Amino acid sequence: MSDPIVVKTVEDLQDAPEEYREAIAKLVISHAINELYGAQVFDEPAIAYAPTPYAKWLTCRVAMEEYGHHVRFKQLGIQMGIPEERMMPGAGKRPLSIFEFPLKTWEEFVAIKLLADLAEILQVEDLLHCTFHPLRNLARATMPEERFHAQFGEDFTAELIKTKEGKATLQAAINEYFPYLPSFFGGSKSRNNEIFRKWNIKQRTNDEMRQDFMKRATEVASKYGLTLPEVRRAA
Amino acid sequence: MSRIVVLPQVVLEQVRTDLRAAAWFAALGEPLTDDDRADADAYAKALGLGTLLLGLAREWPEAERVLQAPDWSPTWWDHEEERRRWLLAAAEVRYPERALWTSLTQLTTEIGDVVHGKAGIAAARMGGAAKASIHVAAGAAAQAAYQLALARLAEDAASPFESKFRLFAAGRWPLGVLGSTLILF
Repeated sequence: MSDPIVVKTVEDLQDAPEEYREAIAKLVISHAINELYGAQVFDEPAIAYAPTPYAKWLTCRVAMEEYGHHVRFKQLGIQMGIPEERMMPGAGKRPLSIFEFPLKTWEEFVAIKLLADLAEILQVEDLLHCTFHPLRNLARATMPEERFHAQFGEDFTAELIKTKEGKATLQAAINEYFPYLPSFFGGSKSRNNEIFRKWNIKQRTNDEMRQDFMKRATEVASKYGLTLPEVRRAA
Repeated sequence: MSRIVVLPQVVLEQVRTDLRAAAWFAALGEPLTDDDRADADAYAKALGLGTLLLGLAREWPEAERVLQAPDWSPTWWDHEEERRRWLLAAAEVRYPERALWTSLTQLTTEIGDVVHGKAGIAAARMGGAAKASIHVAAGAAAQAAYQLALARLAEDAASPFESKFRLFAAGRWPLGVLGSTLILF
C-alpha cells in the first residue's frame, strides 16, 4: 500500500508520483469531455423541446451550467498542462454510448435528467474526498448544480406523470435510455479504478458505485410509479 | 470569398463591461418608464412582431403564471431563434469556429453566475418566488447576454438583442408574448 498523499495545489502536483499525475489527468479529461458531450447532445437541443418559456429558460440554465462544468474542468486541465485539444470531443477518445443517440423529445430529456444526472451525481460524489484538492474543490462546487439538475428531472417527471399519456411516453424514454447508464461506471476489473482508489483519488469500486446507482435509480423511479428495464451487463 | 479573422477582443471586452454594468433584475415589478416602453417597442419591431401591447407583471407569482401559460405565443421565441441562428452563421463565417464557441461559452459561464446571484437577490427582496424561478431568471438573462455577444460579433447594430439587453440592463425581464401583448416584469 502506498503512503497516503495529499496534493493541495496544481503546482504541488508536479512533485507527485507519475502514476498519480496520470490518474488525475485521466479523470479531468474524462469529466471535461463528458460534460461537454452532455451539454451538446442533450441539454442545448432540449431547449427547443421544452413546452413553455419557464421550462425553456430553466433548461437554458441547466445547459449553461453543464457547459460551465466543462469550462471549469478544462481550466483545471489547462493549469495542469493538459493540451486543450485532449479535453474536447474528437480527441481520439470514444464518447459514452449514450451520447450517440440524439435527443428527440422533451420526455427523453426529462428521463435523462432524472436518471443520467443521478449517475453523474454519484461520479462527482466519489471525488468529494479526493486527495488532489483542486479536483476535490471542483467536485464540491459542481455538486449543488448536479443536484439541481436531478431535481429538475424529478420536478418535470412529477408534471409528466399527471397524464396517462405523459407517463407512458416518459416510461418509454426510460426504457430506451436507462440500459446505457450502468456502463457509465466502467468495468468491474478496471485498472484505472484500482489506481484511483490506491491513491485515494476516488473512494469506491466501479461495481459498488453501479450497485448504489441501481438502488437509487430504482427508488426514484418507483417514487413516481415508473419502472426500470432489465439491464444485461457485461463485466 | 469569406475571410476568417481572429476574434475581436475589444468587442468582447465591451460586451463584458456592458454586462457587468447592467442592473440585472433591479426594477422587477416597478411601473414602466418611457425608456422601457421605447425599448420594448424597438425589440418587438426588430423581431418582426410589429407593434404589441405592453403588459406588466408586478410580482414573481404573476410572472411565473405568464411563463407557464399554456396559450403562450411561440412566435417570438421562434423569431429569436431564427435570428440567433442567422447571427451564429454570420459569426462563424468571420471567425474561427472553435475560438468563437470557446469565447461565447466562457462569457456565458461567467455571466451565468453573476445573473444567478442577482436573480436570487431580487427574489429574496420581493418574496413569493418559487426556488426554480431564480434558475429560470438566470437562464433568461444569460441567454440575453449570449445573444448580445453574438449580435455584436456579427456587427448587427439593429439587432433585437440590443433592445432586449437594454431592457435587462434597466432591471427588467421581458417575459415573452401572450396573445398580442409583450409582458415585462
